Amino acid sequence: MKTIKGESFGIQLEDGDSTVVFKGALRLSGMEDYAPILDLLKSTLAGPARPIVIDVRELDFLNSSGITMFSRFVIEARDHVGIDLRFLASESIHWHARSLKNLQRLMPALIVQLT
Amino acid sequence: MTNRILGYYGQEVGDRREYLTLAFSPLSAPLRSRWRNNGLSADFLGDYVTTFLPADDSTAAPEGGRKEIKHSVTYIANELLENAMKYHEHSIDIPIGIHLELTGTQITVSASNGISDGQAQCYQTFVENILREDASELLVRQLEESSCGETSVKSCLGLLTIMTDYGARLGWRFEAHPTYPEIMTVTTSAVLPLKNVSGVSV
Repeated sequence: MKTIKGESFGIQLEDGDSTVVFKGALRLSGMEDYAPILDLLKSTLAGPARPIVIDVRELDFLNSSGITMFSRFVIEARDHVGIDLRFLASESIHWHARSLKNLQRLMPALIVQLT
Repeated sequence: MTNRILGYYGQEVGDRREYLTLAFSPLSAPLRSRWRNNGLSADFLGDYVTTFLPADDSTAAPEGGRKEIKHSVTYIANELLENAMKYHEHSIDIPIGIHLELTGTQITVSASNGISDGQAQCYQTFVENILREDASELLVRQLEESSCGETSVKSCLGLLTIMTDYGARLGWRFEAHPTYPEIMTVTTSAVLPLKNVSGVSV
């Protein structure tokens, strides 16, 4: 299991390397700082096609650099044949519904499950 | 350069109820050390504003509305502060400021920092572009371009998300600095109408 931890956040790659769970608040200062997380996300695209789940239900805060990171991942993922990518999100965390819709504009097949 | 106002800035909104200003000295610590303070300050402003909503407890906003306002103010303050810290002219000891103001109809969050004449020129061109185009379309286009590694679109994305995802109106004031003639103070202001926040009636 791969993990990346910071003072205010934790990220875990689990379930056979196809689920990434985000927790806390992500407000890193730019793409350089987000690069290890983006690499971890991209690692889910390696190997045979399978459902990939990005679980942000406990990610309370994401700055615009973090939105850029997810955009880069989605743009890379959409070019993979047979890709099944979904975000698990929460209705009670206000940035989820607001910002994840932009990712769906980049990749209409992206599924956002708000619970 | 001459003083200039662009976008929705400083429109008269009637009674001024409450305001709060924080100021930071850019020379006190390196950018990376101060980055953590951006989050702390933004969280503080988000928490602080909810104590004003509304002044009369008998018409207290439902919990969902208060949480929404808190998050919106935190996000907007964080983005404006990040930009102010990143693009501030660090050779001059001018404070970086973040200002929160609440009236009966809107919340204004604004951040100010010093920039060179050249930076001011570039920023004004950039702002005119934002104001001319459809922000939602521009946001998606910038997200696509960011995948090509265009780092220059970063601050643009922050401002565009404030406009499109949070429904805030942006405005900018460029002013010649009274002490340093080669420096301009830029204030970026985001106005969040309270009617756009569900469950809140002040």
